[in-house]
This record gives sequence, C-alpha cells and structure tokens, in this order.
Amino acid sequence: MSHAGSRNWRTVAALLALSLLAIPLGLALGNIRVDYTLVTVAAGGAVLGIVCGVLGSFAVLRQQSLLGDALSHAALPGVALAFLLAGRELGWLLAGAGIASWLGVLLINTLVRRTRLKQDAAMGIVLAAFFALGITLLTYIQSRNDASQAGLDQFIFGQAASIRRQDVLLISVVGLAAFVVLIALWKEFKLITFDPSFAQANGFPLRLLDVLLSTLIVVAIVLGLQLAGVVLMVGLLIAPAVAARQWTQQLDQMLVLAGIFGGLAGAGGSILSGMQQGLPTGPLIIVVAVAIVALSIALAPERGLLWRHWRQRRDRQRFTAQQVLQDIHRHALQHGDPQYPAPGGMLVTLRGPLARPALRHLQREGLLNASAGDDWKLSERGLERSQAAARNQFLWDRYRQFGEDLGLPSLAVDPQQPIDRLLPADAIARLEALD
Amino acid sequence: MATLEALLIDLLLRVTDLQQLNAILGDPQATALITGGLVAFAAALPGTFLLLRKLAMTADAISHTVLLGIVLTFLLLAALPGLEADLNSPWLILGAALAGVATVLLTDAIQRSGLVREDAALGLVFPLLFAIAIILISRLADDVHLDSDAVILGEIGVVWADARSHCLQDCQPLEITPDDPRAETGRRCTNCVELDIGPRDPAAEFEEYCLNCGSYTAAEAWRARLVPQAPTLVFWPRAITSMLLVALLNLAFIALFYKELKLGTFDPALAAALSLRPALLNTALMVLVSVTAVAAFDAVGSVLVVAFFIIPPATAWLLRDRLAHILLLAPAGGVLASLAGYEFSRGNFLGIAQMRDLLLMLDEAIGLDGFTEWNTSISAAIVLMMFLFFLLAWVFSPRQGLLLSLLQHRARQQHFAEQLLLGHVHHHQGTAEAASELAHAGLHQHMGWTPRKTQRVLARLRLRDMLQIEDGILQLTARGERSVRRFMALRGTSGASPAAGR
Amino acid sequence: MNQTPALHIEDLTVAFDSRPALWDVDLAVPEGVLMAIVGPNGAGKTTLIQAALDLIPRAAGTVRIFGEPVARARGLTGYVPQRGSVDWDFPTTVQDVVMMGLYGRLGWLRRPGADERQRTLQALEQIGIADLATRQISQLSGGQQQRTFLARALVQDARLYFMDEPFAAVDAITERAIVTLLQELRARGRTVVVVHHDLQSVPDYFDQVTLLNVEVIASGPTAEVYSEDNLRRTFGGRVAGIARLTEEAPP
Repeated sequence: MSHAGSRNWRTVAALLALSLLAIPLGLALGNIRVDYTLVTVAAGGAVLGIVCGVLGSFAVLRQQSLLGDALSHAALPGVALAFLLAGRELGWLLAGAGIASWLGVLLINTLVRRTRLKQDAAMGIVLAAFFALGITLLTYIQSRNDASQAGLDQFIFGQAASIRRQDVLLISVVGLAAFVVLIALWKEFKLITFDPSFAQANGFPLRLLDVLLSTLIVVAIVLGLQLAGVVLMVGLLIAPAVAARQWTQQLDQMLVLAGIFGGLAGAGGSILSGMQQGLPTGPLIIVVAVAIVALSIALAPERGLLWRHWRQRRDRQRFTAQQVLQDIHRHALQHGDPQYPAPGGMLVTLRGPLARPALRHLQREGLLNASAGDDWKLSERGLERSQAAARNQFLWDRYRQFGEDLGLPSLAVDPQQPIDRLLPADAIARLEALD
Repeated sequence: MATLEALLIDLLLRVTDLQQLNAILGDPQATALITGGLVAFAAALPGTFLLLRKLAMTADAISHTVLLGIVLTFLLLAALPGLEADLNSPWLILGAALAGVATVLLTDAIQRSGLVREDAALGLVFPLLFAIAIILISRLADDVHLDSDAVILGEIGVVWADARSHCLQDCQPLEITPDDPRAETGRRCTNCVELDIGPRDPAAEFEEYCLNCGSYTAAEAWRARLVPQAPTLVFWPRAITSMLLVALLNLAFIALFYKELKLGTFDPALAAALSLRPALLNTALMVLVSVTAVAAFDAVGSVLVVAFFIIPPATAWLLRDRLAHILLLAPAGGVLASLAGYEFSRGNFLGIAQMRDLLLMLDEAIGLDGFTEWNTSISAAIVLMMFLFFLLAWVFSPRQGLLLSLLQHRARQQHFAEQLLLGHVHHHQGTAEAASELAHAGLHQHMGWTPRKTQRVLARLRLRDMLQIEDGILQLTARGERSVRRFMALRGTSGASPAAGR
Repeated sequence: MNQTPALHIEDLTVAFDSRPALWDVDLAVPEGVLMAIVGPNGAGKTTLIQAALDLIPRAAGTVRIFGEPVARARGLTGYVPQRGSVDWDFPTTVQDVVMMGLYGRLGWLRRPGADERQRTLQALEQIGIADLATRQISQLSGGQQQRTFLARALVQDARLYFMDEPFAAVDAITERAIVTLLQELRARGRTVVVVHHDLQSVPDYFDQVTLLNVEVIASGPTAEVYSEDNLRRTFGGRVAGIARLTEEAPP
C-alpha cells in the first residue's frame, strides 16, 4: 500500500494500544478490584460495543443516524411480545426485537413514499407509537408478576450486569455472522453507500443490497439494546463511528477504529455501572463514547479542531510573509533600486505584529538580507520570487478585467494560485499581449 | 399561579357545586383525563409547525434534554440558600427552556464545524445530555422523587395527588395563645436532664406550657378540631394549572405570530428578506417546545411527548391542506385521542370491545396462564390511540388516503397508457416506418408492454372509438386525434409536428 | 446504417406520477460517435440517461444497447453520474473510487487485486491525476472530482459511455482534459452520449447532437441538426444569441 495508507494504519494501531491501556489504567486509578464478575461484564460490554461500533459506521455514512434512534425504540414491542410467547430466552428476545425494528423500517419507508410526511415526521411517529405499544405490553407483563420478568427493564436503559455468560456466546456468534456478511460483501456495501446509482448501472441489485445492509444495522441495534437500552442506543450506534471518522480517510480503517472505540466505550461503561448498584449501563456508556468523540474532534490529525487552528495560524503567517515580500519589492521599486532596503518598523505598521516573524522566516528562506539595524532588502532569489508574484498578480488583474471579452475559460479568481497553471499557454500569451 | 387557580375555581363553581368539583379534582381518573387533554391541546399547536419545518426529531431530542435542565436547576436551587428546591418551582421551567435552546445551539455548533453531519450531531447531543441527567438522578435518588419509570412514562395517574388547597369559606386563620380557652396545657420537667433524675424524683421542678399554641390555617384548625365549622376547601392539582398556562401561552404565541410563522415555515428566505427575523422566531418556537415538554414531563415523561407534538398534526395534515385547518383540527384530534386513550387504558377500546374480553379470548386461544387483567400506562394508551387515528386517517383520507390513491392510481395509469398508445400512433401515422411501428401484431414489442396489457388498452380505445385497425395497421379516428391534441396542448409542448428533424 | 446502433431507443416514455418526463422518444446513436444531449432545464436529459441504463422504470418503450436489452449489456456500458450525486466526504481515496469502476466486472465476493490496481493507475495516468491517487476525495477541487469520475468510467472499458454534465463547473484545464479524453475514446471506436449544457461548445466537441425537450426535437449530425430553428423550438425564446451560436458552427 501507499505511504499515506500505512501511516494511517500506524495511527489505528496506536489508538488500539491506547484503548487497551485505558481500561487497566482506569481500574488502577479508580482503585477497582478485578474479579470474575467484573471481567465477564467488561467482556460482554466490549463485544457488544465492537459489534455496534463497526456496523453503526454504515448508519453514519448513509446519514441515517436518527433512523437508528427510531429503530431502537421500535424494537421494544418485539422484545416484550417475544418474552410473553417464549420467556426470557435471549435468542427469542433478539429475534422479536429484530422483527419489530424491521417492521419499523418498513412503516417509515412506506409513510415517506406514500404520504406527504417527510422522513423526520415518519420516524417520530413510528418511534413513539412502537414505544407506546412496547410499554403497554411491558405493563401487562409486570402485572403478571412473573418472577422471571426481572431483566426486561434492562432493555429500557441497558444493564450490562444482567448479561449472562451464555448470552455473551450467542451475541458473539450473531456478531461474527454479521461480520462475515460484511466482509464478504465489502466492496458491494462500499459501492452502494458511496454511489448507489453507479452500483445499479453496473448491474448490482441495489434493493437487495440495501435490505441486507439495513439488516446489519438492525442487528447492531438489537444486540446493543441490552447494553445501552432503547432510549440511548442511538449514541452507542453512531458515536464510535463519528469518532473514528475523524482519525482516518479510509473506510476499512474507519470501521476498525469504530470497533475499537465501541469496545472501549462498552467495556468502560459496563465496568463503571458494575461499581454502583442501581445505575443503568446505558448512560455511562454514552458518556464514555461521547467523551471519545469530543477528544477525537479536538485532537485528530488533519481534521481535528486543534490541528485546523494550527494550520490556519500557519497560513496566516505564510500570507503575511508573501505580503511583506511584496511590500519590500514595491518599496524598492519606488526608489528605483531593487536592492533598496525597507525599514522593519514600516512593515510592522503596514502588516501588523505578524510581520516580525514573517521577516525572520523570509530571512531563513534566503529571500531577504538584513542590512544594518532594522533594514531589510531582497536577495537574488527574493527578487525573482517577488517578480513572479507581481506578474501573477498582474495577469490575474487583467484576467479579471478582460477575460470574458477575450473568450477565455471561466475560472474562480484566486490570486493565490499561479494563473499560468490554470490557463493554457496561448491564453496567457493573449493576456500579456493586451495593451 | 394561586390567583389563577382561585379565579378558575370561582368560574367553575358557577356551573357546578363544590362537592362535585372536589370529587372531580380529587379523582385520579378525571384529573388524568383533563391533564391528558390539555397536554394534547398544548403540544399540537407548536407541533404543527414542527411537522411542517421537518423538526420532528429535534422536538424528540428537546423533550429528552429538558430533563437535564430540570435536574441541574434542582441542584442549583438546593445549593443556593434561601430558595426552596422542589419539583414545582417555576425556575425549573426556565432551566428546561435553557436546556432546550442549548440542545439546538450545541447541535448547530457541532454541525457547523463541518466534522459531523446534522443527523449525527443531533444523535450525539441528546443522548449525552439525557445520559448525564439519568446519572445525576440515580445519584440523587433520595432527594428527588424522580425514577427512571417516571422519566420514561410520566405519572399522569397521580396528578391529583400533588394539589394546592384553596379555601373558599370560613377561612380565618387561627392563632391560639396560652390564655385562649382552647389552649391545652401540659407540664414538663425543667431540671430533669440537668440533674439526671426522673420526673418522679422529689427534686424535680415543673413548669406549665401550652401544647397547641401557634398559628393555624383554616384547614389545619379544622383538622385539629379547634373550630366547629369546616372550611370550604378545593384541592386543585398543580399540573392542571401549569398545563393550562402553557396551552394559553402556545395559543397566544401562535395567534400573535401566525403570519410570521407561516411565512417562515414555507419561505424562510423571503421571511428573512422582509426582516421578520425567522431565526429569532425559530428560537422562540424551540423555547415553546421546551416549555411544553417540561410542563408535560410529569404527566407523560420524556419519550412519548414527541407523539403529542407530531401525531395529531400529521393526522390533520393527511386530511387537510390548509395551515389554518390543520391548526384547528390537530388540537381537537389530540384531545379526542387522549379521551379515547384514557378509556383504552381502562380497558374500553373505543366502545367497541373490552380489553378484558379480548384477553380472555386470547387466554383460551393461546394460554395467558389466566392473567387477563388489563393494565396499562395511560400515556402509552393515549399515544396508541393517536397512532390509531393516524392510521385511520391515512387509509380513509379523501385526499391522501391509501384506499383512494390506490383507486386513483389505477385510473390514472390506465388513462396514461391510453394516451401513450394514441400518442404512439399519432407519432408514426403516415411516416415510412408506419407499417412496422403500427402493425397490430408486433405492437406490444414497440410499446415494451406485455401482450395482455397491450390488448387491454387497445380494446378500451377501440370501444371508445378512438382507434381502429385497418389491414392489421392501427389508425386514429377523428376522436382519437382530438384526444391526442388535447393531451399535447395540456402539456404545452410542441408535440403537434410529427417526426421532426429526422 | 446497416450496422447495429450502439444505443437504440424506441418509443421511450418515462413518467413521474403520470406526468411525462420523456414522451415517445426515438433515438439511434451509431457506434463511434460523440453525441451531445442538449435541452432546457427539466427537459429530461438526465432522465433519458437514467432510463437508458434502466436506473428508473419506463412507462413504455424499449432500449437496446448493441442490439441487446440493457440488463444483458451491463458490461458494455460506462456511466459518469453528476458530480453532486455523491457524498464527497466519504472516507475513501481517489484510487479507491476509480477502482469501483472494476467492481461490476469482478462480480460477487471477489476483491480487487494487483491487476485491478495496475489498471486503476493506468486510468489515473491517462486522465492526468496519477499524483492524486492516494488523496482523500474530500480534498479534491471540482475539476479533480470530475476527472476522478472520468477515470472510473475509463477503467470500465466500456463500448458505450453515458456522461451526465461532465463539463459542469470545471476549470479550463479539466475541460480540455475531458475533450481530449472524448476524442481518444472516439478514436478507439467508442460511443459517448453526453448531457451538455454549454450551447456554444456543441459544434466544436460533438459529431452528433440530440435536441431534447421532453420529446426529441431533432437528432442527427451536428452540422445538419444544430440550426437556429431547431434550437428555438427546443428552448423557446429563452436563449439569447441563438443565431450567433449556430453561425459559428462549422458547415
């Protein structure tokens, strides 16, 4: 692979190491005793978090984040009905949740296609109506006063501690199956997410692939419910993906990272909720996951806010340097001697406090020579550079004025760009020949 | 608040008597019904604009995040000296409104960074704020009577319990002084603790003091049997007042800014150009949503509120086209649904069936182990009824209905297919390729239709004397020609000249 | 004209909600020509391409590509959608997008290998953006995005290309690169159907032109068809200087 690609994989590896370190570090700092229960809970949380993070990436990329919210709420009546019919058997509960979510997708799509309602209203309606149905069924179940009903409440806010060991096995199997489908249809999923009409034009069955990918998202939601609960599930679905998106420009790396972040949030939230009785897991997981998002948005290379701030500063300095160079050139021309020095004080008055570092920078580049005291004059190379810049500016001015009359191609006027690279040579010649 | 309640009581007593009023206000079912209706009415008004502005999910987000506003304000009140921290403080409304606006601003800020898209930004902000609120509540469980069930569902059934008493008659407060005949006196030992002796010890000294001195409200005085005459009291549930206030606020806002809201919804750019400040109006709408959500919070919780905002207006929108009609129909439908929902929660399904009978039937059919007691949350039942009304409107609406559009769709498709075939004949008639294009035998291939569909359309056209077949070649009749020209003219294109430029 | 046309559309009608977007369109594009499709906004230009590729349902009519129905001619067609139709913030690189042109040929379950990578790089080279291969697509300028799409079409190695507004809002250098590419494709006997909006350049760039406004107003060799009269009938009176446009057309 290319240089850029491998550098990014190194970033992924570093973040994985950091995440793996974060858990023991947190345990040590929080003075938490590690025992068998804690390990089970953390492992369950991590597995669920990984599955949700990876599959949730597609919800984010397809701009269906809020659909995830609607679908997690829509799963509730399925869970309750499955419980009524089959008891507290995780496989059935998941199947019920999956079917109900699917009906939710179907209803939302039908409403959008067949009525004047837009996506947001359709989601709001399905979310509330399905949730109300689920609550009604849950209330009925509670009135039966079954001893085994304990553990159904976990689906509202999530409860990692109630995940049993055999549940973890089932979750892992379902998650693995989803990953196998994902890897097998990797290039197809990538294509229909990026450019569906091109996929269709190439003969891929868009409808079928769309349904499959939506099913994977439903699987992620359904599995994650036990951890985050219906109300907060959307956070666990999208936060790892949003965080991962900041660190990388490649889909495969994004999914791996989303898995890592999801696992970290899942394990972290589960451990925290295990520490205190009565605190549901969902809220804690969301707080951990969004904290990861905040860190990513602030720190990620190239896209991150800090990085961007630094780059803007650098750009400002560069522009100032260019301007200062031109100022000195113009000043010298006014005095009829290209080597005529310009006083630094004047430049600072003209261009503000950034002029000082700009002067030093230009000197390091060998474009300026400092003569006695605070006087600056152009070097040979500096003279060449400012002449080229002046010519570029001159051509842009002419283009702006006469480009249309000459029938030249239309460009966005941007004097920072070298015009002779944007226009063909004959066009430049015509601009220069003008008088 | 108390003044408003007094005014209302005064008004109500002109149409009903005291006993009945107290019976209603003290009845869990009646108060639930009134509150549910008020929530439905109050929410449907701003809800109409939320629906038309595609802000349904924003409203859902806000109805979650107001919880954080409530919790934080509560903590602040508890920390500040001199302020009473209770869940009825009007400050909570302010806190919730701030939280609602903060949600929108925060989502905007994240989205404007260009790093996260709008849907994902909303999907991050509201779970985070809601999660923090839930964590805080679980830490404060002892101080706040909020639990996660109440957060999700509300407690519309116990609205009656949180009431303010209003005294109407015999309301003199009472001050008992030691020389009052009703004062009871007791004796207590003044030096027993000091000397560590029992009251029977001869060294013990005693003083007399008043047992029941102090000030009494009229109600307390009567309860302590200090006055012979019972005061006339009305117990007014607080939730009804706050919901009524919010409903009036929403009504006033929409009445005052109707045209601005209307224009800002359909053409924000024009509204801005006319300097109607659509951004400000939008913020005001969000404040209204937050205030409504927080007032409704006790009654219906935070998850189901979105149904009260969106479903009745959506139902009305399927039935009506004009904004004014929707604004009238939506609150009415909402109130009706809350009535039906309340009945449903008691097991009465629209007067058609009893849920108990249904459950009995189910018990016989699949076996419910004899658990046939219908028991459900009132707020969930109301939402289900709203959804049912919505489905009914969707199926039967005379404008947007499924049934009607199914029929219309068929008719339109038939008509379109006929025009297509006529247009095809018109297009090729009298040209060189007419013999092949218009041959009856291969027609379905040229149209790309199935032979059956082709024959059906042909038969219909021949029956109406628009098309004839001569020597196996299709031909337009005069009527068919007129129909084509009319269709072309309707579309306003230059279709009259056949086979141009070929 | 005995030869099978590259694209043969007969009696094509496409309707949205029973409102025709295309009405009874007949069109034959001979193999090896560059054909422009020109018409006002809402004339159905994009719809024509999408219907020809079977991306949207037809109300009536048939489409044949080299004599085959569309579904059986997938391997023969290449497609350049409008630039704005995708999310350019998608996490992927230029090289990856171009490689998507080979997915259809690869078939299910197979992944691109060294051979595919080689062909991708060649296409990038040919279109003059080899230096952008590992660039993230969100960092591309409009012209570079368009060239990425063209490279993706190029690796499809199709016999018939459909391009939707490739010249929309691109810089002069990209415009020139596209023209060069079109001429190369013609030299290799490929057929290209281009939705085009710049009336001025039609006679310079294209052999044939179809004037479309829901119906086909005229179609054929540019010199014969691209007349003031036909343009007026296509655009109504809405285009200033139609006379000047056609005067400049080569005879």
